[in-house]
Amino acid sequence: MIKQLIVCVALGSLCAPAAEAASTSDLTLIQNQLNALGTRITRLQDLTDVEIVQNAYGYYVDKGQWRSISDVFADDATLEIGGKGVFTGKARVYEYMLVGMGGGRQTGPRDGGLIDHQQFQCLPRIHDDGVTAEARCIAFVMSSGGWGHCYYENDYVKENGVWKIKKLVGPFNMYSSYKQGWVDNVIVNTFPEKFMPYPDLPPSRVYLTYPSYYVEPYDYPNPVTGNPMPPPSPRAGGLAFGK
Amino acid sequence: MPLFKTVFGGHNRVARCTGWGEIMRLSCRVVSLALSLLLGSALCNGALAADKDATRLAALKARVAMIDAETTYVEAITKIQRLGRAFGYYTDKGYFGEAADLFTRDGTFMWGTDGVYKGNARIKELLTRHGGGSMKEGPGLPFGRLNLRMQLQPVVTVAADGKSAQGRWREWGLLGQYKEQAIWGDAIIEDDYLNDGGVWKIAARRYYLNYEAPYQGGWAVLKPVMGNWQSAVAREFPPDAPSPVSYAPFPTVFIPPYHYADNPRSIQSRPPVDFPSRADDALGKLEAQADAKELALGRAESVRAIENLQAMYGYYIDKGQWKLAASLFSKTGSWEFGQSGVYIGNARIERALGLAGPPGLESGQLNNYVMVQPIIHISADNRTAKARWRSDVLLSRNGTGEWGGGVYENEYVNENGTWKFSLLHYYVTFWGDYDAGWAGKPIPMDQPSTEFPPDKPPTVVYESFPKLQVVPYHYNNPGTGKPWAGE
Repeated sequence: MIKQLIVCVALGSLCAPAAEAASTSDLTLIQNQLNALGTRITRLQDLTDVEIVQNAYGYYVDKGQWRSISDVFADDATLEIGGKGVFTGKARVYEYMLVGMGGGRQTGPRDGGLIDHQQFQCLPRIHDDGVTAEARCIAFVMSSGGWGHCYYENDYVKENGVWKIKKLVGPFNMYSSYKQGWVDNVIVNTFPEKFMPYPDLPPSRVYLTYPSYYVEPYDYPNPVTGNPMPPPSPRAGGLAFGK
Repeated sequence: MPLFKTVFGGHNRVARCTGWGEIMRLSCRVVSLALSLLLGSALCNGALAADKDATRLAALKARVAMIDAETTYVEAITKIQRLGRAFGYYTDKGYFGEAADLFTRDGTFMWGTDGVYKGNARIKELLTRHGGGSMKEGPGLPFGRLNLRMQLQPVVTVAADGKSAQGRWREWGLLGQYKEQAIWGDAIIEDDYLNDGGVWKIAARRYYLNYEAPYQGGWAVLKPVMGNWQSAVAREFPPDAPSPVSYAPFPTVFIPPYHYADNPRSIQSRPPVDFPSRADDALGKLEAQADAKELALGRAESVRAIENLQAMYGYYIDKGQWKLAASLFSKTGSWEFGQSGVYIGNARIERALGLAGPPGLESGQLNNYVMVQPIIHISADNRTAKARWRSDVLLSRNGTGEWGGGVYENEYVNENGTWKFSLLHYYVTFWGDYDAGWAGKPIPMDQPSTEFPPDKPPTVVYESFPKLQVVPYHYNNPGTGKPWAGE
């Protein structure tokens, strides 16, 4: 207020250059504030971009677009779905999709073969380094064969400004036929020799899914308490955390 | 006045004179005006340049503060989305204590018409009982228990002061007991949230159960419920207070109140801006940086506004609220559904939507349009956007249930800070009979209406399942940046 008074008085009397010009410290402070805001706004866009990668993956699976799928993986990515074991590298991701999912015959949609691989409830988290991230998502499968519900608990990496899947882990929750639903005749998991191709590494977790109990550890602490996820009680259900 | 404006930069001059008592402010203006009239601009050049710098500095500081506040606003939406989704992942796996911890200490949970449960401990027990867990042996679920409760389609509205917020969600449940029963769950959730020192918590949840339906026969076989439909859980574990609402579940059509009925904030973002070219000085460089940040923030905020808009559209369609749904389009907006052809303008879109049933639906009619799997791209100038969405459709009419599935490729326009649909196009993947399934008894798409013909024929002619086709992607492959090559 005193400064403003001086300004007005000065203007009124002499027009002397008494207004507060931007000092160096002012400019430095604003520069720092803008840098911090830039980081926060980039994080917001990162959350969107990671979800886009995951959701785009789902739309490509719908239509058996195996090449497009492997293109959203980093070169050194790994893939582990159900109990099939671990596939290492982008080329093996493609082979898993083409041979394991598509029977090696065709890429692109096949009439009569619905494999909608819906991505629900995506919960991404960008790490402080700004170039790695994790997300938990649901894949809710509506296929010609019936229902599937599994999680993705994936790692992502930002390479040259582009987010890609670094590590895909798809633990199953429930797979059932359409006719009966999940009341009976469910698939408790897959295993390495169930279908081709064979994996590069054995399964990193061994577990049975519904009607047994398995929970993949959450990558994030409780959003309110900040506490890490406690292990499930073996007395409450099935095997805790697998293996 | 023209001289005053020229010399002192119009409103900037006034800005220099704020923060005073009324008399001082007036005298300052009078002095400034008199001075400018008397001395003209030549004498004051030095002082005015400095004064102009100060004005620019003040304006820049204010803008940085605005960007900060509005970044916090968008962060709040993402935190609340996180809260809602984390809740689902906890209850899926019998982590009922962790789910209850997402509430404030005196948080409340209204379970349909059963009543209201108060406080973390009571909410934990409520969720445990409904989910089939054990209060003694947790977390976890017993063998054979399924409690998958998917938390979908959020509309999040944050209050102007940033201290509270509200949200609407859809819960889609796969519930049951192995060898005994498989059950579909359907509910709408309306939440109040509180910002507790930067940590968002659920203060009050209103869980509007619509149905728990047997897998065999599905929701279409449900009979109207007369009178009290209290759950077995509530009989054994009475609530702390009666429910403030009274309604009957499906097949009666009930619309849970919208928290956003009179508040469009959740579909608003920063309006499109043409930033002026900035001076080539130290301050000008910062001003240009602030412009870039403001634009980036606007685009991030627009992503959330479009999520909310698409979710809102789905909730209105759910309940046959055709007028409200059509109001979300721009005046020249267009709407195309499967092979319906194209309808243009709010009134014609409203009538086209009404081909699906009377406003508000009829008893026994289910019209759930689940909006999921968004891929949203905002244009570089924040004026337009495109998005791909998936929609699962759960229908029933006259006791017959149907499934639907498909993909939206939509376009949106930022109308002075409010997002609207400029183009909606739903590509049908499949329709199928509930009992036989989509594979057992696929249903072909409806052809253009003869009762109310469209303005234009279908833009793409195709057949739904068992035929399959790729719906063109509005985006390039996110990994390679290359357009889809026809795979």
